[in-house]
Amino acid sequence: MTISLAIDTSTSRTSVAIVDDGALLWHGYRDGATAHGGALSILVSQALAVQLTIDRVVVGMGPGPFTGLRVGIAFAITFGQAREVPVFGVCSLDAIAATVTEQTDFIIATDARRKEIYWARYSNGLRVDGPHVDVPSLLDDERPIYGEGAIKYGLASSDENQFPDLVALVEISMDSARRVNEAMYLRRPDAQPTSERSPA
Amino acid sequence: MKHEPLVLGIETSCDETAIGIVRGRTLLANVIASSVEEHARFGGVVPEIASRAHLEAILPTLLQALSDANISMKDLDAVSVTAGPGLVGALLVGVSSASALALALDKPLYGVNHLAAHVSVDLLTHNKELKPTIALLVSGGHSSLLQVNDITSSIVKLGETMDDAAGEAFDKIARVMGLGFPGGPAIDRQAVDGNPAAIDFPRGLTQSSDWLTRPFDFSFSGLKTAVARYLESTPDYAKSDVAASFQEAIVDVLLLKAVRACKESGIDSLVIAGGVGANSRLRALAAQRCARAEIELAIPSPALCTDNGAMVAALGSLLLSAGARPSQVGLEADSSLPVEVLSLS
Ligand SMILES: [Zn+2]
Repeated sequence: MTISLAIDTSTSRTSVAIVDDGALLWHGYRDGATAHGGALSILVSQALAVQLTIDRVVVGMGPGPFTGLRVGIAFAITFGQAREVPVFGVCSLDAIAATVTEQTDFIIATDARRKEIYWARYSNGLRVDGPHVDVPSLLDDERPIYGEGAIKYGLASSDENQFPDLVALVEISMDSARRVNEAMYLRRPDAQPTSERSPA
Repeated sequence: MKHEPLVLGIETSCDETAIGIVRGRTLLANVIASSVEEHARFGGVVPEIASRAHLEAILPTLLQALSDANISMKDLDAVSVTAGPGLVGALLVGVSSASALALALDKPLYGVNHLAAHVSVDLLTHNKELKPTIALLVSGGHSSLLQVNDITSSIVKLGETMDDAAGEAFDKIARVMGLGFPGGPAIDRQAVDGNPAAIDFPRGLTQSSDWLTRPFDFSFSGLKTAVARYLESTPDYAKSDVAASFQEAIVDVLLLKAVRACKESGIDSLVIAGGVGANSRLRALAAQRCARAEIELAIPSPALCTDNGAMVAALGSLLLSAGARPSQVGLEADSSLPVEVLSLS
């Protein structure tokens, strides 16, 4: 058996799971997080109370709002280093797409804030376009749309399938061709210097 | 012999990804990855660029620090991290990383105050007893005078800047003079050949009434305006003289107030910390004036004045030794953490 610690902070849900091969051993989440920081540590400590030994770490690499996304990735890569276990990244939208069973050709859209969405198109279980970041009105598409962003902008075909599924996240990470090595920001940083530099 | 705690400190409050390791009060590693060059063309730190750079640098910095200290993570007694104040997105990378270390290794975590950490780093260079001191904390984001009763439990703010931080004033004047960013080192270099008495720039909040109402506060906006006006009205100005005179005005007022704070509190010890503490004129004039006033002066080495991880490790080590309570699981960064809060429980 191979125990994965799975983490995703790319949406408003902070989600942590312990997955034994394909079986879910433990899952916890907190909704509505803006920064994810405290919630993630608490969830992981709960997960470790159930399963202390971890063989690998899997983390959603986004796309997602930057600050929260980085919380998950920074945690995952440091945890992996400390435990001397491998860390794998997966596109978070792929792990939402895996929850859609009633369609074979559809779009996943999450909330990118600033009145935009992150989206990707899936066909027969694979991502065939995206991820992109756009205004919702650009998604003028016949295909059904799922995900937190789709619901927020009234485009959704269902209330389900809003957030990444961590068992799927782990399963996708087993396929080296579907791994992602860098945070999927999709936007360039706003080049606005702060006047409040390091407070010391 | 008492076991000296081995503590790793992570600092990501601004544009430096920094990790230090100490054993008790002995510095074992101090590794800094800076994204300053990526910010230079914007004339200031861009938070999102800094945060992205932190995520990229955090593991290489960690591995380098462990290698420099020649230790294994399993040997650590505690992990310490800057919990604030600072840029929130930047702080979060360090706090998340430190939380992961603490949970993965099952070690206590201390979320510490960046400003207190600046003050505590001096204990790594000057092996003196822990005693009350006045601290002048000057950097790009802060200029404050602190009364440090006990570095592990009690800091009182005596005064702070009403407008710009000292380092910010350096940045802005360097920019109008075309000297580049960051401004502190650029002005320092330019001032070497200049006459500090060439131009009599104003010293903010040093009128007799100010000494009654705001004895330990600073204001640099009037100075900034005066320098800008001088540059406008004197097109063929001597760069070195302006730099030296501007620097003198800042350093003079910083030290006037720091020495006064020592006298009024009856504390004969002064620590200067923060990035501006690397300024050569501040260091030289502080030595002179403290000697004259019989104040014991301590300034960390320039590398330990600017943001670094050793200072965070140092404060963590002191807190651990003093029996301070570690931070709870779920520690959150606090971008406006007040200086009186030394660590988050
Ligand atoms: Zn600082």
